[in-house]
Amino acid sequence: MIKHHPKFELLQSFVNGELAASLAAGIAIHSDMCTQCQQKIAQLTEQMAEASFEQAFLHNFIVDDDDDLSQVEALDFDQMIAGITESDEISEVKATVEKLVSFHGQHYALPRSLNNVELGKIAHMGKLSRARLQLDEGEIHSSLLHINPGGSVPEHTHKGFELTVLLAGSFSDEQGDYEAGDFIMLDGRHQHNPVSAQGCLCFTVANDALHFTKGINKLLNPIGGLIY
Amino acid sequence: MQELRTSLSKDTTTATSSTMSNSVDHPQLCQWLNAVAIHRDKQAFTCLFKFFASKIHRIAHNKFSNKSMANEVVQDTMSNVWRKAHLFNEAKGAPTTWVYTIMRNVSFDILRKMQANKEDNLSDDIWPLVEAQTTSDKVFGDHLAQHQLLGSIETLPENQQAVVKGFYFMEMSQEQLAKHLNLPLGTIKSRLRLALAKLKTKLGEHHD
Repeated sequence: MIKHHPKFELLQSFVNGELAASLAAGIAIHSDMCTQCQQKIAQLTEQMAEASFEQAFLHNFIVDDDDDLSQVEALDFDQMIAGITESDEISEVKATVEKLVSFHGQHYALPRSLNNVELGKIAHMGKLSRARLQLDEGEIHSSLLHINPGGSVPEHTHKGFELTVLLAGSFSDEQGDYEAGDFIMLDGRHQHNPVSAQGCLCFTVANDALHFTKGINKLLNPIGGLIY
Repeated sequence: MQELRTSLSKDTTTATSSTMSNSVDHPQLCQWLNAVAIHRDKQAFTCLFKFFASKIHRIAHNKFSNKSMANEVVQDTMSNVWRKAHLFNEAKGAPTTWVYTIMRNVSFDILRKMQANKEDNLSDDIWPLVEAQTTSDKVFGDHLAQHQLLGSIETLPENQQAVVKGFYFMEMSQEQLAKHLNLPLGTIKSRLRLALAKLKTKLGEHHD
């Protein structure tokens, strides 16, 4: 059973469309696997819609300054209506074709929200393999991270945040075991050392390089940015 | 988090009370949407436009603090309402919720165009207007998908079936399969590739 979910504020920003594409995709992936969050999202969407279209309307009567504005716009609006209804074309829904991604000969279905995101070349580092998702969000990097059975990410912390959505397989860290669908958001206060006995595939989002915290692994710090 | 919850539940109460006072006529909105969907009714669209456009404009203006972008959100949202009205399903939710999701998607794509300089319109993948499958059985999604996959595998030529089954269900490596089936590794690889391409189109069809 999925035990780790996005917190309420994140779901709310998701519904409002305010999150970066990477984080929004992470929540979409999680909610595709989690009925509980799906219901919360549906409920929040309904509430936001009510607040937008049913309450906003009351403000029409309260805010007088808008009157002039809406008269000017009324003219533009007539033009806009004519422009929009000029064409009788309707939008057909494209069938979603499931895309596969493979690591070490293992094939995985790509989450639907990433269907049209370009995937970079796979980089291998021991039992870890990583493919960058080309979302071009500046300091925020998103990747697919594959861990071969018995692989692990050395104990590390983060200056920023680190989101892991487990797509397939399982892994464990100091806090416990994780399974497909788990949504794990960590920040600089957390240190962890994920180990995957059976192997796994994760969707990861981070806004800074990993920072390895222990012994010899500190030597890995220069490559911390390569993993997440 | 607790605070946010409280403030949201306050919002909800107000929202509900405004619905209670019949400020929004949902059946009327549904009727207009259906008229647009079925009869391409411009008059009904004009009514929808009059109801939504200024509200969308105000919300977008608050979000982007820019009048021409607010106009763009109105233009794109209402064009989508005109072109996608046939996708609206009143059994699934209120018309205001449907238009809200369209407006949210349009704003998201515009924001992404501004911030990441990408015109990839990811919103429809993140928030699909049409669900790929019913959400209520999602918990058993894996079994359903597995079942569907099995059915599709049965339709493959036998030599491809053997490779796919060995690879996925017995989790043998390509090398092991080559040995087991007494075939060159290249043949295993090409059969697997062919089979996957076929499965992809087959499963794609099912998602229609």
